[in-house]
Amino acid sequence: MKKWGTVLMTVLVFLAGETTVVFALKPEENRATRERGKITFERSCMFCHGEEGKGDGPAGWFIGRYSAPHPRNFTVESFKLRSTISGELPTDQDLFRTVTQGIPGYMPSFNGLTEEERWEVITYVKSFNPAFKEGTPTPMPIPHPPFPSSDESIENGRALYLKYGCRGCHGDNGYGDGPESIKGNLKDARGLPIAAGNLTDRSALKNGSTPRDVYRSLMTGLDGSPMPSFADALNGKENEAWDLVYYILSLSADRGGLRW
Amino acid sequence: MLNRLSTALVASAILIITILSSFIFPDPAQAIPAFARKYNVNCTTCHTAPPILNQFGRRFLENGYQLPGTQDGGIIGKKKLGDLSLDDVTNYLALRLVGNAVQNWSVKKQNAAEGIENKTEFTFPDNFVLFAGGTVTKNVGFMVELGHDVAEGGTAVERGFVTFNNIGAYNLAHLRVGKYDPSTYSSYATVRQQLGDVGESFAGGCVAFAPCALTRAGLAPSAFATKFYGLYDRSGNVLSPFAASLYNSGAEVGIDIHGRPFGDWFLYQVGILNGANEGFGDSNKGKDIYGMVRFDYARSQNFSANISGFIYHGNSNAKVQTQEDVNWHRWGLSARATYKMVDVYAAYAVDKINKTPAALSGLLDSTATGLTIGADAYVTDRTLLSVRYDNLDAGGMLDQRKSSTFVGVQAKYYLRTNVAVYVRDDFNIRKSEGGDTGERNLRNAFFTGVDIVF
Repeated sequence: MKKWGTVLMTVLVFLAGETTVVFALKPEENRATRERGKITFERSCMFCHGEEGKGDGPAGWFIGRYSAPHPRNFTVESFKLRSTISGELPTDQDLFRTVTQGIPGYMPSFNGLTEEERWEVITYVKSFNPAFKEGTPTPMPIPHPPFPSSDESIENGRALYLKYGCRGCHGDNGYGDGPESIKGNLKDARGLPIAAGNLTDRSALKNGSTPRDVYRSLMTGLDGSPMPSFADALNGKENEAWDLVYYILSLSADRGGLRW
Repeated sequence: MLNRLSTALVASAILIITILSSFIFPDPAQAIPAFARKYNVNCTTCHTAPPILNQFGRRFLENGYQLPGTQDGGIIGKKKLGDLSLDDVTNYLALRLVGNAVQNWSVKKQNAAEGIENKTEFTFPDNFVLFAGGTVTKNVGFMVELGHDVAEGGTAVERGFVTFNNIGAYNLAHLRVGKYDPSTYSSYATVRQQLGDVGESFAGGCVAFAPCALTRAGLAPSAFATKFYGLYDRSGNVLSPFAASLYNSGAEVGIDIHGRPFGDWFLYQVGILNGANEGFGDSNKGKDIYGMVRFDYARSQNFSANISGFIYHGNSNAKVQTQEDVNWHRWGLSARATYKMVDVYAAYAVDKINKTPAALSGLLDSTATGLTIGADAYVTDRTLLSVRYDNLDAGGMLDQRKSSTFVGVQAKYYLRTNVAVYVRDDFNIRKSEGGDTGERNLRNAFFTGVDIVF
């Protein structure tokens, strides 16, 4: 009896594990790819983003309830997480990064989808917004840090944090409790109240938490949220940008997602 | 009068303290239990209001604790011992602590001179549950739930099962083996209630296969309840007419399969159990079988709706006081509709006893029904109001049975997404009887407490 039980378990595990095939190539954007992407979208994404990508899926309202964020409306809204200048659409790699890494707090990582499935679903998501057909978005250059973090750069970054008004939203110590946030003045593009990011919780940084990720957020801003682009303010001030990055990262412990 | 006043004062004090504490400890970014930690998302990714699932959470559950559309078990599968960290452990373990800090019962006794009797108790914590769940490898999931009930005492495996998912093709068939609640995948799942079950109270000194009087009615969804008076398990213990059973049992041992072979709009489930009210092992003569189909609409406009129908066929799954077996069946419907902040659900079940012993002919009503209608609504970002109506048309021994109708209302305030305080009141909308029966003399039950998951 025990033997048959072992055999049954082995067969079940084998059958259960045999249904996924792994691909590794970015497929060509064509109708067939979109059709496959639609299947994945309706299995994985539709419950929050809605059948037509309007951010009105049956589970979507509960994510923010009466506050932001709500699931992205792919048909009209701007995208927060990009490597392009403020106001532009994201690149394919930006979308792939979001699908793969998720958005801490709000969207899980879908790295359980095969790489090909993720590219297919991105092709389908882009079909919701005609602007994607008008050209290929160009990413801003995101350089590697020219120097490592140091006490001096962090101190300078602190001064820049105050100079550029970061404390107004993120607070004196980065807890997201700045006066604008406390007063409830922060709204997203839909007019929903939105909390300023807590910079002391690295795992909650929505656009990633490596130095280059934070640099990207500073330069591109998070469109549709009150977080502006500092690309103009920091234009030609590369060292200042990295000092600010290092100061922001100094506010949090470098560890994973354990939060209570 | 003094009792009622003191209860109100204590309840008010608790509410004030908890509401004030929400200002002292502002809501941090987000939360919380094992799956939320594992995927680094908020509870509301999967729940309308824990423990009730939204459509994303339902698909996650159906897919064996893998994200919808994925078969990602392998990615977060077992690590070598040296690679494990505390974070990994917390990705599999979660705790839930539910407790009434204060509960007050008002009961109308038989002797009119006694009037309404009030009893106030401090009972926190009532229930403590430890969950371990997740995937062990691709398409193989598990869940173990240990529960400790303060009132009943002892700790037990409430649930424990393994799932084999996506057998043959994605969403074609998912197999579940172990001790589980059969109604998980229906429109209205027994274990997912905003107004948690409050157990009944029996008179002491009950003996096997003999009537046992209730001193206080239970507060649980009537559609899911046993519904019959004068039924016993195989050891002769009286079955509470208020306890969940059959398809809507809290947990039974068996095997079932579910899937969506024709797309997202249709779900099937078939299963076989040792039998109602059977522990581990099988003392029953035969197995109970069940089937369920569910039709879904869940695509856009923040709206979803579904309806389920089920049939449960019992096989010598209960005894009567003559110690003879009966076949106890159930069929029913449940439905749910959700639009933004409003969640409405209902269930109706008909219970039928076949093979009634000749000795009980004319003494036993072999049909009983239960209707439950509920609704939850987020009236503010942190405040959830709930209401539930329960009507039990009881069956069983005619000299024992008492039907009941209760309405429960609850206000829940979320200090954080994983910590809520609540006040609840259940009241009997049937008139009290002359007889001092627990099913009818309970007039009102007030609770205030806390619900914590982490």
